[in-house]
Order: sequence, then structure tokens, then C-alpha cells
Amino acid sequence: MCGIIGYVGGRPALPILSAGLSNLEYRGYDSAGVALTDDALSVYKKSGEVSELQGILPESTDHTRGIGHTRWSTHGPPTDENAHPHTDCTGRVAVVHNGIIENYDALREELADHEFTSDTDTEVVPHLIEAELDAGAEPRAAVEAAVDRLEGTYAVVVTIAGVDELYATRRDSPLVVGHGDDGTFLASDVTAFLEHTRDVTYIEDGDFAVIGDDGLTLYRDGEAIDPPVERLEYEADAAEKSGYDHYMLKEIHEQPRALRQTISGRIDADAGTADIDVDLPAEYVDSIEEIQVVACGTSNYAGRYAAELLESVVDVRTTVEVASEYEFDGGRDPWRTLVVAVTQSGETADTLSAIRRAKRAGARTLAVTNTLGSTIVRETDDSVFIRAGPEIGVAATKTFASQVATLTLLAVHVGRARGSLSYGRARELLESVRKLPNAVQAVLDREDRVREVAREYADSDAFFFVGRKLGYPVALEGALKLKEISYDHAEGFAAGELKHGPLALVTEETPVLALLTDGSRPHETLNNVKEVQARGAPVIGATGTDGDGEASLGDGYVDVDLPVPETGALEPLVANVYWQLFAYHVADEKGRPIDRPRNLAKSVTVE
Amino acid sequence: MSDRPTTAVVLAAGAGRRLSPLTNRRPKPMVPVANRPLLEYVIEAASAAGVDEVALVVGYERERIQTHFGDGDDWDVSIRYVVQEKRLGTAHAVAQAEPHVDGPFLVLNGDRIVEPSAVADVRDALADGDAAAAMAVTRSDRPRAYGVVTVRDGFVETIVEKPRRRADSDVINAGVYAFTPAVFDAIRDTEASDDGEYELPDTVERLIDEGGVRAVRYGGGWHDVSYLWDLLAVTDDVIDRDGGTVAGTLAPGAGVDDRCVVAPTASVGRNAVVGAGTTLGANARIGPNATVERSVVFPDATVEAGAVVRDCVVGAGARVGANATVRGGTATVAVAGELHEGVRLGGVVGDDAAVGGATALAPGTVLGNDAVVGDGASVSGRIEDGVTVRRG
Repeated sequence: MCGIIGYVGGRPALPILSAGLSNLEYRGYDSAGVALTDDALSVYKKSGEVSELQGILPESTDHTRGIGHTRWSTHGPPTDENAHPHTDCTGRVAVVHNGIIENYDALREELADHEFTSDTDTEVVPHLIEAELDAGAEPRAAVEAAVDRLEGTYAVVVTIAGVDELYATRRDSPLVVGHGDDGTFLASDVTAFLEHTRDVTYIEDGDFAVIGDDGLTLYRDGEAIDPPVERLEYEADAAEKSGYDHYMLKEIHEQPRALRQTISGRIDADAGTADIDVDLPAEYVDSIEEIQVVACGTSNYAGRYAAELLESVVDVRTTVEVASEYEFDGGRDPWRTLVVAVTQSGETADTLSAIRRAKRAGARTLAVTNTLGSTIVRETDDSVFIRAGPEIGVAATKTFASQVATLTLLAVHVGRARGSLSYGRARELLESVRKLPNAVQAVLDREDRVREVAREYADSDAFFFVGRKLGYPVALEGALKLKEISYDHAEGFAAGELKHGPLALVTEETPVLALLTDGSRPHETLNNVKEVQARGAPVIGATGTDGDGEASLGDGYVDVDLPVPETGALEPLVANVYWQLFAYHVADEKGRPIDRPRNLAKSVTVE
Repeated sequence: MSDRPTTAVVLAAGAGRRLSPLTNRRPKPMVPVANRPLLEYVIEAASAAGVDEVALVVGYERERIQTHFGDGDDWDVSIRYVVQEKRLGTAHAVAQAEPHVDGPFLVLNGDRIVEPSAVADVRDALADGDAAAAMAVTRSDRPRAYGVVTVRDGFVETIVEKPRRRADSDVINAGVYAFTPAVFDAIRDTEASDDGEYELPDTVERLIDEGGVRAVRYGGGWHDVSYLWDLLAVTDDVIDRDGGTVAGTLAPGAGVDDRCVVAPTASVGRNAVVGAGTTLGANARIGPNATVERSVVFPDATVEAGAVVRDCVVGAGARVGANATVRGGTATVAVAGELHEGVRLGGVVGDDAAVGGATALAPGTVLGNDAVVGDGASVSGRIEDGVTVRRG
């Protein structure tokens, strides 16, 4: 997991690379570097965040081409030496790389007469190119020959002293070219150069890109092809903090708006239909025996929420798999299994690899993602966009809400096509979806109360989140948020499981955060609330109202009662916003670097 | 032109208590007129007048403002947020923006709709003369509700905030100012008012004697939403000025007047009638056979089948039940202990409030947020947030 940038053009390269790295920092931030090229290479590398690197960069230089990298360690610790770009023995060739080179041991042995200065897998690449150049190859041929030797996943960008062009190629790691008025950009993600151009070309696996003063020349299977150029609608500055202290808080507050975009034009409550613009023929949907959801982390919990809905409301057998554990097995019929991949970035390596396994087995695949033009969109049969807008905070918030809302619409679509979801129940679900933005706003309006509660309990020993049915994935997600950003010990449990073990962990110093809403069997969970209260644990309840819509379900049972507006089966999703705010304020109270939690990165493109 | 101020300090930190319950959860600048927050009109006017940097002073419920406006890109301005932690008046609010100001600058109220010419003329008046400040003034038919100004030879002579007895003129402070950075010293010298706040008009009064304040006569559109009923009237005026836009899903037989603003995600049921001067926010739903006239329906609100809703504000997520009647017309309404007679207000249904089926709201009824009116009940007067009224 790393961020790459490159530039060739008429302007000074250094400020472009430096700003681009700042924008890419969400992809990794344990070391960074740049290489500037003219007749020689000037390389600057530094461990730590991009700002550390910026501290050692010269004020300005005349270079008009160069490459840069921000790193998230896989091979070798985050040191100055292990930072990219990596160079060959002669200092002629510099390489930045995102991914993992699996055969680097073998290659390194083969290059025994070369002098290696880092512990990284990447460093074999410049040395391979050096060997090809020494053997008399032209620069482009040398890079192509070197890349041919690599096994694993990679996006690489190469610059060579005295050569006017940059070379780039990819396999299973993202790479996109931006066509500016005054130069050409290369990056792992468009956010790196969005302020300069919105005209982009996504590089496909195996393509070979040459970036020169005349722009991009793209080779596919050895032939130069016309690069397909797309115009992006994203706005560069949408990614700023707008007066919030952290992107995470900004994104939590953006949820009503994101949800509106997610559902806009997609629901017809009166007709009981959801139109998610996906080509799943009714006969196919009717023939499905099982839906398998593959995803990681927060997306996996969104998948679990959807699976519970699909099984309990829509009557479709649904299983959820952690993408890195996924195999297409168990005697399933691939023709009757729909595999749904949920990934915010569309670049999550584990999820991509799971989807490839499903495809190999012959199953139909569907992506649910936030990112147009991402790898998953190109690799699956169909895709649905969650339209949450760019998410920068490493801890996913608004994309979780938009994922669940989108998957709910998918569930309605599937249920109506199969006839397993009644018109009345479909209407009810869609009405809940329609109420979501306003209900989430109502929770956000109570942020002050959540902040108080977070302050009161911030110093607890551990935090346990419990819920049943639709509330269970939210318990898992609530605990994950807290782990990610406050570094506290937090666990999510199905409420009924407490007494089968975890109850031993419960003390007066371990608050229990309980979901007591529609769709989460609140009356049964109340029994578990009593169990933990008997052990002296404080209980924070996100609670709905009972049948006639008046008394809170938590009345008299919880120490802190956070009311959840009536939204039927989506009440647990609304309640999750309380857990997001709780995690945020606990972490803020402890002064954690909320947008950049230690050891984590936004989208994980290594397996 | 280089010394013409292109920075505007926009005051958007206030709560707007007189608009309660609409301002119990949202700041006044975010109250929507024709489906767009008041503040959006202000930012647009500033942008159209050539302002490119906006220091937005925020405080009360500031998240709503920050989330809506982001960095200002959609309005071609660059917005920085300045947080006024304690609400100590408008002069204090301007002082918070001092670090973001360099040279002459504009100050705009974030909740008054003005046209770009007001902004440009005030800026030019300061730049072309050697006065300490310039200020837009306009005529009002109820001057005592505002700062009353007397003007002599193009300069402000006196400024009296909300005079108790008689107004000396019909000319009022339009809430658009241009200052030089010297104003920050004048603010530091400004004394607190009786309620302990530092008000900008008091600072302006000081400047009358310290360099003079140019009065810039402004005759264009000027709209202020002070009271709940103003929202209906101002909405009407703005639709009249800008024209209606009817988007959304209209069922067969639905009749929507052209002089309405209907969000693309709103829907109107079969044979429902939506009359002139009405706005329907995002996701709002009007049921079959309902009648909605001269009303402001906020996002996510529902008016169920057969309901009649006139001269009414329906808050976000609120529900008006089937066959409920808000008959509309004039009433006497009390706001903060003050009686306002003959104001045209059919009723206000607070955010997420629920009005049951076949209920009747007398003119001037104000239901708080989350209030519940049971089926068949008749209500009048003011019902506080969260209160339930049953048929008795």
C-alpha cells in the first residue's frame, strides 16, 4: 500500500510532486521521497510523514520531471533507506513502486554483483533495469525487459537520468494518467493531481505507458494504442476539511448529504421498486440459490448488515466472507451464486483477489463501490456506485452508511425480482431508506451529548458493543471504529453471546454500548443489558421507541439513553452514527491522530 | 482596482431565536428560502460582486454551515471558517476574523438577502473616498425593527438600533459594510451594550466621529427573515424574483403551479394540488389529493393524503397526517413575550413533529420539534418541543 506520483511537463516538477504526495498521504505515511531528473538524478527520501520529507526538500529547482512516493511498509521498516524512490548502483535509474514483488529473493540472488542499500522488494527493479541498460538495451526496452521478470503485484514508475520520458506499468495495483494543459501526471489515485486536470486515462494491467513532453503514449501488447480519456466529475477541493478539525468528523457530518446522493432517483416508494441501474435479468435473479458477499473491514460489516436483511426480509440465502479467507468451495453451484464485492476504493487487494477466484469458478460478480473507474469495476460483471463522495479519513464513516443504503436497495431489487419480497414490505423498507438522511441528521444534532458521554467514559479499561440481528454488524463496526482511532480495546458481540464467555471481561470499568432498536431484537437484548448491569458495568444505549412510538425502549435500564428516530429496519444503521461520534470524541479526548491512525492506511492494496 | 476589497467577512454565528423552532437545530443562515439556505444568497451576491475570499464567522450549529458550503468552490469563492466560540455580538464576531483580513474588507450579514450591487457599491464607496467606512442603507416600512439611520450629505449622521419610540427616518442599516483594518481598533474601543454584547452598529457610531461613514443608498431587493411568517412572504418574493422550478416526481393528475420550487427528489401524489409560492424540499412527499398552498415544506417532510396545508411551514422530517387541516390566514402570534397582530401564518410544524390524521391547526399555531398531535385533535397557540397533545 503506497502512493505514487510522476510528472513531465513545462512547469517546475517539485511543487507538483510535493503537493501530490500530500494528497496521497492517506495511502501510506511512514516514509516518502522524490526523484527529480535532468542529466542526473536528485533523490530526496525521509522516514515519517510527507511533511518530514518536505522539510528537507530544496526551496525550488529547475527540474520539470520527476517521480514521488509515500510509503506504507510491507518489506522492511520505515527508514530513510527503505523509502522510495530506489536507485541502481550508478544512480542513473530511480523507481517508485506500489505492491509486492513476490520473486524478489530470486531476483536479488541473480543480481548478486549489485550493491543493495535497502531491505525492500522494490530495489530489485532499478538494478534489473541497470543490468539491461548495461547490456545495451534502449531505455524503454530495458524497463520492459525488467518488468517482464517481475512476479507479484505492482504499479511502477521509472525515471532515468538523461532520458526525457517516464515509464510506467501496472499489474493489480492502480495507476492513472492525468492530461494537463502544461504537462502530464501519473499517480496511484486521481486525488494526487485533481487540482491540475480532470482528464484522465486509467492504465490497464499489462499496459506500458510512456510519458514524455508530448504527453502519454500507451502500448498494449506491444502496439501503440489511442489512450481512452475520461473526464472526471469529482472536485479537487471536495477533499478539504471545511472548518472541521478532522476529515473524519467532516465525513460523519456529511452523511445526510451522502445518503441523499446515494438514494437520489433510485427509489419509487409508491411502486415499491428500487432502480440501482444494474443489469441483473429477472430470470437470473430468480435462479440464484445464494448470494455471497466478499469484503474486508468496515465494508465486510456493511455486507453483514445486508446479508441479515437479505435473509430475514428478502428470503435469499446469503453468506458473508472475509475476502482474504475466501475460496469458491463448499459444493456451490457457480451458475446459481451471485458474488457481491463491497469495497470503498475498488482497489482493495484482498477483495480483488476474492472476486478473481469467484470468476475463475464461473460465478457472476457484482461490485458495490464508491470509486468510478476503479479496478473492481473493470473486473466485475456489474457494478453499483454508492455515490458517497470522496472519503479521506482512514476510518470509514459515510461510506459505511452509503454502502448499507445501497445494499438495501439491492435487496429490494432482488426481492421484488424474485417475488420473495411483498409489495407492502418493499414499500416499508423504501420508506425507511427515504427517512435515513433526516434521521441521521437528528443523531448529528445530538453530538454535544455524545461528546459529554465520550468524555465521561474515555478512560475506561475496555468497551463492549452488543446487538442482535441487524444490530450485530453495527456492534462490530462500532468496536472497529474505536479500535482504529482511539487505540482502545473494544469488541463487538452478538448480545446473546455475552453469557457464553465474554461476560467474564465485564467490570465496572468496561462500558457496554447496546443497540436497542427495531431490527435488533431489543427486548431480548435488554436481558443482556441487565446481565452486565448486575456486574456494575455502565450501559450506553442507542434506543428506539416501543410499539406506540412513545416510551424509549431503554427507559429505566440504561445509564445513557441516546434516542434513535423511527426508521424501521435501518434503525441500527442510524444508531451507528452515535458509535461513530463516540469513537471520534474518545479519540479526540486522547489527542489521537484521528485521520491517520498508526499502522493503518485508507485502502489496502496488498494482500 | 487592486485596492478594492475582495475579502468579505460574513456573519453567520447567530442562533436566530425568534425563528424557533426552526432555529432550534439549525442556525438562522441555514433556514431555506426556495430550497436554498439564506446564507447561500449572501455568498452568491458577494461572489457576483467580485469577492473571492470569504471569512465565514460561524458558531451556533456551525457543522450544518460547514457541511453545506465546504471550501466554497461551488460558489467560486474560497471560504475560511472562523469560529466565534462565545456569542458576544456582531462587532466581536468581526474581530474574530482579524487574522484573515489584510486591507479593506466587506462585512455582510449572513441572513439578509441582498443583490450584488449592494456589495459592489459599498466596496466602491469606501475605495473611492477617504471615509473610515461605508455602509448600505435602504428604506423599510417597519424601520423600528432595524437600525434606523439618518443621512446627511451622503454620510451617516446617526444610527439608532431598534428605537423604542419613534423612528427618525424610514432609512435603515441594510447590513452591508466596508471597513479598513482600522475598524479593529474601533471595535476594541467599543463598549458593551446593556446585555453585555459588542454590536457592530455601536462600532459604526464611533466611526461617524472618527473619519466618517459613507451611506450608500440601496434600492434593490432586500429580504430579512426575522419571524416565522416572514419565511413565507420572503419565499413568495424570491420565487417572484427568480421564477419557480418544478422538478420532482409528479403523479398523474397532480397540479403544481409554475410559481413553486420543487426539489428533484420530491414527489407529489395523484390529484394533489400545490399552489403558488410553495417550496418542496429534497425527498419531501405530498400525498394524493392533498392541497398545499403558499407553504414551505422542508426536506424529508410528508404531507399525507387529503391534507390541506396553507400558509404553513412544515419542518424537516415532519409528518402532516391524512385529512389534517391547516386552514391558513392571519392570526395573532406571540414571539418572546411580544404580540404580533394580523400576521399571515397558517401554522408551523417543527422538525420531525407528527400531526395526526384529521387534526385541525388554528391559524398561528406553532408546534415545536418532535411534538406529536394525536389523531383528531384541534390545536392552537405554541406547543413546545417534544410535547404530545391528545384529543381531550
